[in-house]
Amino acid sequence: MSAPPDLYGRRSKDRMWAFAARAVDAFEAVTRKLAGGEEPPPKPVVSLSTTVVVRKVTPEAEDVVSVTLSAPDWSPLPAWQPGCHLDLILPSGTRRQYSLCGDPDDRSTYRIAVRKLGSGSREVHALGEGDVVTVRGPRNAFPFIQVPRYLFIAGGIGITPILPMVKAVRDKDWHLVYCGRTRESMPFLDEIADLDPARVWIRPDEEYGVPVSGKELLTWALPSTHVYCCGPPKMIAGVRVDRRTGLHFERFSPPPIVGGRPFEIELSRRGTVLEVPADRSALDVIREAVPGVGYSCRQGFCGTCTLKVAGGEVVHHDRVLTDDERREKMAICVSRGNGRIVLDL
Amino acid sequence: MEPENLALRPRDVRFDWAALPAHWIPGEPFATHMFNVMHLLLPEGERWFVEVFKEALPLITDERLREDVVGFIGQEAMHASAHQGAQDHLLQHGIDPAPYVRQLEWFFRERLDRPDGGRRWLVARLAVIAAVEHMTAFLGHWVLNSPKLDEAGADATMLDLLRWHGAEEVEHRAVAYDLFAHVDGGFVNRVAAMAIGFPALVWLWIRGVRYLMTVDPRCKGKARWRDLVRAGRKGLLPTVPYLVASILRYFKPGYHPSQEGSTSQAVAYLASSPAALAAEQ
Repeated sequence: MSAPPDLYGRRSKDRMWAFAARAVDAFEAVTRKLAGGEEPPPKPVVSLSTTVVVRKVTPEAEDVVSVTLSAPDWSPLPAWQPGCHLDLILPSGTRRQYSLCGDPDDRSTYRIAVRKLGSGSREVHALGEGDVVTVRGPRNAFPFIQVPRYLFIAGGIGITPILPMVKAVRDKDWHLVYCGRTRESMPFLDEIADLDPARVWIRPDEEYGVPVSGKELLTWALPSTHVYCCGPPKMIAGVRVDRRTGLHFERFSPPPIVGGRPFEIELSRRGTVLEVPADRSALDVIREAVPGVGYSCRQGFCGTCTLKVAGGEVVHHDRVLTDDERREKMAICVSRGNGRIVLDL
Repeated sequence: MEPENLALRPRDVRFDWAALPAHWIPGEPFATHMFNVMHLLLPEGERWFVEVFKEALPLITDERLREDVVGFIGQEAMHASAHQGAQDHLLQHGIDPAPYVRQLEWFFRERLDRPDGGRRWLVARLAVIAAVEHMTAFLGHWVLNSPKLDEAGADATMLDLLRWHGAEEVEHRAVAYDLFAHVDGGFVNRVAAMAIGFPALVWLWIRGVRYLMTVDPRCKGKARWRDLVRAGRKGLLPTVPYLVASILRYFKPGYHPSQEGSTSQAVAYLASSPAALAAEQ
C-alpha cells in the first residue's frame, strides 16, 4: 500500500494515509458503478449570443447617440439588472462592451449609449434603423446591491450604468454627482431632470472647473454610504484615493493589445504552426486550434494558462512566474515570442 | 434583489505578511491554527481544482457556464497563491509546513492522478469539488459574518485574506455545482461525493491543527476537542451544530448553491476589502 512519509518522521509510510488511500479506492469502486462510463449524447450548445435589430438611434448629446435594440420578433430578451453590460459585435466583427442604460423592466428592448471616440464607436454611430447586430450577455461586472444609502458619481458617458441604478432607488436615500465637460456633452440630462433636483449635482467643468480631487465629488458620502463610480480613469483614480470603503467601480475586460509584434507558435505535440498577429494574444490564437486550453484572467497574473516552452525566445509580460519558472514556461495570455516559439501542447 | 449574471473574474490581490504575529488572533493559538490549516491545505487543494476544471472545459456546451468556469479557475488559482504566501510565512515563526504539505502533494498529485480514469473519474472528481465548494460557500458566508474575530483583535491583513477569499467563494458558489450538474448531476453521485468529501476534509483539518499545535514552539499543550467547542462559543470558529446543519442542506433534493449565502454581502465586502480594491488597476 503506498502512502507518504509520516508527519513526525517516525515511519516511512503514514498509517493513516495508507488507510485513507483505501477509502479512496472504495470511493473509486463505488463511483465506477454509479457514474455512467459511456459518453452521454452531446448536449445542445447554449449560446450567450442574441441577434438583435436596431430599432432607434437617438442623438442624446454632442457626439453621443443612444441605440435601442430588440429581437427581430420583439420577443423577450435575456433579463438584466442595473450595472449589466453587453458585448456588441458590429458588422465589421469589432467587439465592444456597452452598459445597458434603459429600463430593466422593459423586457423587449435593450438601450445602450455610445460616445464617438474610436473606430468601434464610429461604427455604432453609423448604425441605422433595421441594421442587424449580435449581442452577447448581459453580464454583470458592476453588481448593484441594496444598501441604505448611495452616492453615485458619473463622468460623461459613465452615466450609462449609473442611470438605471439611480432610477431603481429614486425613492431611497441617494445622491448623484454627474460630471462632464459641458452641459451639451452630457447625455440624459433630460431624464435626470425628472429626479429630485435636491439630490443631484450636475457638475460641468465649464461651470465648476475640472475636479481637483476625489474629495470634491465625495462630499455627500457618509461612512456607511456605498459609492458607485463610473467615468474616465482619472476621475475614478481620484475617487479611489479619497474613498477606501464601500466603493464600487466597473471591472473592465483586459485592454486591447497595443505595440505587439507578430510571431509564430509551434505546438510540438500537434505539429502545427500558428501565426499570432500583432493585435492578438497567443492565447486567443491557440484557443481556436485547441478549444480546451485553460486560462482565466487574460492579464498575466493568475497563472492558469501557463504552458511549457520547448524552444524559442519568449518575451515575458506576466506578473506571476519566477525567474526560474520563466526559463521553461510562459503565460500565453500576455507573453509573446520573438520569431518562432515551440510550446509543449 | 440579488445581483445576477456576475462576470466572475480573478482579482490580482497581494498580501504583505511581514508584520503578522505568530498567533494572529491574540491569545488564541488553537483558533489561529484552525485558520492556518487553510494555508497548508488550500494551495494544493485549489490547484487540484484548477487542473480538474481545465480537464472539464472541453465538455462544456453552455457558453455562460463556460465563462463562469473560466472565471472560477482564476479565482481559485489566486486563492491558492494567496494562501501559499501565508504558508511560506509560517517558517518565520518556526513552523515548518513541509511534512504536512508533502503528504498532500502525494495525495493530490500522485494518488488522485488517474490518467486512464476517463469520464467516470472526471465525473467523480467534479462531484467531490461541488461538495467541497458547498462547504467553502457556507464557510465563506460564516467568515463574512464573524464580528467576534474583529473584537478579538485578529490581524487585519489576515482577516482581509479570509474575507476576500470567503467573498469570492460566495460569489462563485454555484459554478462547481452547475458544472457537475451540466456533466452528470446524478443525486447518488452528489451524495456519495459529500459522504467522502466531508469526512475527508474534517480528517485533514484535525490532522492539520494537531500538527501545527505540535510543531509550534509557542504551544505547550495539544489541540483538544474542547478547544473547538470553546472557540465556537466565543464566535471565533463556526460551531459544530452550524457545520452539521450546513452539511445536511446539501442532501435536500431541491438544493442549489444559490440558496446559500448572499451575493450582495460578498459584493459589499469586496467593495471595502483593501486587497480587492488595490487589485483593480
